[in-house]
Amino acid sequence: MTSYVVGRASEIVPGGRKLVDVGGRSVGVFNIEGRFYALRNACPHQGAPLCLGSVKGTAEESKPGEYVWGREGMILRCPWHGWEFDLTTGRSVFNPHRTRVRSYRMSVESDGESPVDPSVETYDVTVDDGLVVVEV
Amino acid sequence: MPWRDRYKGERRSFFLNPVHGSRLDSMPAGGGLAGSDPDLLREQLIDAYDVSYAILVARTFCNIHPDPDYAAAIASAHNAWLAETWLSDYNHDGAFRGSITIAQQDPDQAAREIEKWAGHPQMVQVTMDSGARMPFGQRFYYPIYEACERHGLPLAIHPGTEGMGINHQPTPGYPTHYIEWHCSMSLSFQAHLVSFLTEGVFERFPGMRIVLLEGGVAWLAPLMWRLDPYWKALRSEIPWVRKPPSEYLRDHVRLATQPLERPADDRQFLALMEMIDAEHLLMFSSDYPHWDFDSPTRAFPKLPDALREAIFSGNARSFYKLDG
Repeated sequence: MTSYVVGRASEIVPGGRKLVDVGGRSVGVFNIEGRFYALRNACPHQGAPLCLGSVKGTAEESKPGEYVWGREGMILRCPWHGWEFDLTTGRSVFNPHRTRVRSYRMSVESDGESPVDPSVETYDVTVDDGLVVVEV
Repeated sequence: MPWRDRYKGERRSFFLNPVHGSRLDSMPAGGGLAGSDPDLLREQLIDAYDVSYAILVARTFCNIHPDPDYAAAIASAHNAWLAETWLSDYNHDGAFRGSITIAQQDPDQAAREIEKWAGHPQMVQVTMDSGARMPFGQRFYYPIYEACERHGLPLAIHPGTEGMGINHQPTPGYPTHYIEWHCSMSLSFQAHLVSFLTEGVFERFPGMRIVLLEGGVAWLAPLMWRLDPYWKALRSEIPWVRKPPSEYLRDHVRLATQPLERPADDRQFLALMEMIDAEHLLMFSSDYPHWDFDSPTRAFPKLPDALREAIFSGNARSFYKLDG
């Protein structure tokens, strides 16, 4: 695992994002209420630039006729087909049952799962003396 | 009052996508509608996927209007604009081909609009919305088909005005949500195709060819498996249908692929391709810049070479005579 400096923490304000190129990959770095998260900028569905999508909340599972709005500011929605991902985990909203790591391994091992892997590769982000560091 | 002063850019008023109607990255940086900037379109579609020809199908929504003259004026203005811009000023590399938009409310006027543009070298088909007041096989529409046949132009029908304005909604009443409305659009395509086949449109107009755009493809097999057997018993009701209805498809019907139905198991998908005669009937379409855009490189599983070549190149090249 290699560490890359991708910018200063102060340049990505809460609710903001920055697209960076690390290790040949396009990665989106997001600040959610002071914490940083990084997702690969490629939707697992059809390869759209996922990290250009909107960041809002989502309608959580609810009873028929009810709307429960949740995770405000934590849901990244693909700019093409509108698939939703939880920025803090990389898991899709419609199929969160596979964790990010497990689903990524499953798709690599081609173990018979659907070719559409609903999780996005995420990276650890730390703040070190005012610098944002992504672990890839 | 000139039509220009009256026009307010009316589109469908509800069943709007609650998320976004177009790819967010297709909005030009300098403003304007998705798909309105030829440079951005070239970057995201033509160059990104090495597209040789893009046949443009614009959305005027002109067939929602009760006034047939107003609707025809919108179609006519659109065609003139398309010819001036995308088919000439923006078309230095010859990538763009056009579709003659018509308003089917007045078929005689629509036929005159086809006449006007049929000689344009880049206009390769006629297009109208699948939202309708009656199924497309009915004789009301025949002036349109007569003009299409005379000029060798296919007619492409495209969804989006189902249940809008004067058009019927092809469900038992109006659905509640966009997702229902959107998913049900293929119903009008099935109804129109059955009507084309049973009314004998392809017998009356042997040169008539249609393209079903954005109406789905997977339903074709079971629909024909129903219609062909019914025809054996009921053909005396429609004696002009001289062969099993499905046997008209290769000569008269093509289906565009987007939005591609995709089962989780690719083997099922490949079996489906055989069931619907994809090697002869399917032509790739992207629906760029809309939200349900199909990527040429990602929408399909791996296909046998001949099938891939047919869907992504050969079928459209020969159907539209794109290579002259």
